[in-house]
Amino acid sequence: MSTIIENINKSIILGDYKSITPLVEQALAEGIDASTILNSALIPPMNEVGGRFERGEYFVPEMLMAARAMQTGLKILKPLLVESGTKPLGRVAIGTVKGDLHDIGKGLVAIMLEGVGLEIIDLGTDVSPAQFVGAIPSDVGIVAMSALLTTTMTQMKVVIEALSEAGVRERVKVMVGGAPVTQAFANEIGADGYAPDAGAAARLAKHLLGID
Amino acid sequence: MNSRERVHLVLNHQEPDCVPVDLGGSATSGMHVSSVYLLRQALGLDEPGTPVKVIEPYQMLGEIKPDLIEALGIDVVGISSLKTLFGFKNEDWKPWTTFDGTPVLVPGVFNTDPEPSGDILQYPEGDKSAPPSGRMPQGGWYFDAIIRQPPLDEDNLNIEDNLEEFGPTSEEELAHFGREAKRLYEETDKAILANFGGTAFGDIALVPAPWMKYPKGIRDVTEWYISTVARRDYVYKIFEYQCDIALENLAKIYEVVGNRVTVVFATGTDFGAQNGPFISTQTYRELYKPFHIRVNNWIHKNTQWKSFIHTCGSVRSLLPDFIDDGFDILNPVQTSAAHMDPLELKREFGGEITFWGGGIDTQRILPFGTPVEVRQDVHERFRIFAPGGGFVFNSIHNIQAGVPTENLLALYEAVKEYRNYPIT
Repeated sequence: MSTIIENINKSIILGDYKSITPLVEQALAEGIDASTILNSALIPPMNEVGGRFERGEYFVPEMLMAARAMQTGLKILKPLLVESGTKPLGRVAIGTVKGDLHDIGKGLVAIMLEGVGLEIIDLGTDVSPAQFVGAIPSDVGIVAMSALLTTTMTQMKVVIEALSEAGVRERVKVMVGGAPVTQAFANEIGADGYAPDAGAAARLAKHLLGID
Repeated sequence: MNSRERVHLVLNHQEPDCVPVDLGGSATSGMHVSSVYLLRQALGLDEPGTPVKVIEPYQMLGEIKPDLIEALGIDVVGISSLKTLFGFKNEDWKPWTTFDGTPVLVPGVFNTDPEPSGDILQYPEGDKSAPPSGRMPQGGWYFDAIIRQPPLDEDNLNIEDNLEEFGPTSEEELAHFGREAKRLYEETDKAILANFGGTAFGDIALVPAPWMKYPKGIRDVTEWYISTVARRDYVYKIFEYQCDIALENLAKIYEVVGNRVTVVFATGTDFGAQNGPFISTQTYRELYKPFHIRVNNWIHKNTQWKSFIHTCGSVRSLLPDFIDDGFDILNPVQTSAAHMDPLELKREFGGEITFWGGGIDTQRILPFGTPVEVRQDVHERFRIFAPGGGFVFNSIHNIQAGVPTENLLALYEAVKEYRNYPIT
């Protein structure tokens, strides 16, 4: 691995988001193409960060810092990736369900999914069933829903029903998460998967898309 | 034995006649207004359609009036600051109907005009000329802070920007605390749980400062969490000044309330998420612990108050530190979070800290279980937490909206049935 790639890796793991822009620019200047930077410098450290979080070595602030570092790099690479026609591994529509405005967990999951090479359509918070359904035509492979509240988690079932009614349920995988959500709840409402944290969500998404 | 004596005994890890019960003593041990309405109706306390006051507009908590306190056998009453989280007072009540159709009363300047989207916004101090600071989505039950983060100039961060809300307690507020403590002490026999404000370090609910019109400094939730690691010196200095101010305020407050207050709500900073602590033990020790120790040392040296820490989530790994820092009470004891098994908590820490909460699982059983499951859960919690004292019954955090009426009734029937010592 080249020194510059190693340095980007290290900066992301340490959450040193301020150092990323010059490092990525340097990598590009050294002639490394955007897709190589993405796949060897940005994605592997996010896997490591997710693992550290799951093992209780990293906590929310460290995750947020690493995520910000990864996003900073991705922002520079994105236009170049589009230009070179690099295709994402899959596309995920993600949102916090209707009535719920909480998005820190959802944001972390989105970044971890991005960190394994998926493209994210972030529908934001307070997302209605119609908005989730409306995102499907844009070649979405996964619908990912989050809820923090017991009063809103029941909306997940409503969204799954709306996907069925719109005749698109079979075209997508549905994954759910959030503080009150459990595997049992996911099974009960007919979701395809549940993940307890952002690292697990990234693995689950790859599994659901058959790319793990 | 009266309520105050009962609470006093359990806080000293002794068994009174029965387990004391809190409902509404604080903003983390209350009930959503919709559930208060349902409960009051079911108990026949009100005519149908009688509105319930929203006494905490951010979380939309309903008023727990004396008749409900008596009906449920509640032992705790609360004192909180004059102004709500949106910076306005609870006065000039007007009627409103929540999205779920509950008739309520809200403060006069509480905004009830929906946005084109149907959302309801709140404004700091009720001043609509200022940017809104809270949003309840259409069909929602609560407000969340609208983040108003001014652009950060990394090289010129000024801690005073994050200290604007911490100042000397006003004369008006002091008089209010003194008056309320005297009134509640003399007119009731309940234990008083008081939240004087100012001693919560980095409470994420307070960082966005929804009561301030134009908050400065670090106000974005993500930015704040990142700052606890990336700008630790800055955050430490904020806490240092905040602590100095808080201790001066506590001395003034103690002069007017004295030992009429049983428990002080020292902090509501959440250190736990569903699956583990928000922060590492090392971060806790470096950044928060020194200030918790200072506040608790002051309290224990100068007053008879017991010190109450509210933190949601999975905090078992931090519990030895909380105890070491001088906290007497843990709330809400979120047993539905990882590593928070009630039996293990009681066995490991029950002799050193009082569990104020943990009485019923509010994430699963209370909203989604059957009345029989509610009764079983309550019974089990009494059996686990009550022996030897050190337990004040309360649900795990506020009881939310959307709880079936029969479950609310089952909850308080079970409390009445199982709370008596000896616990069977």
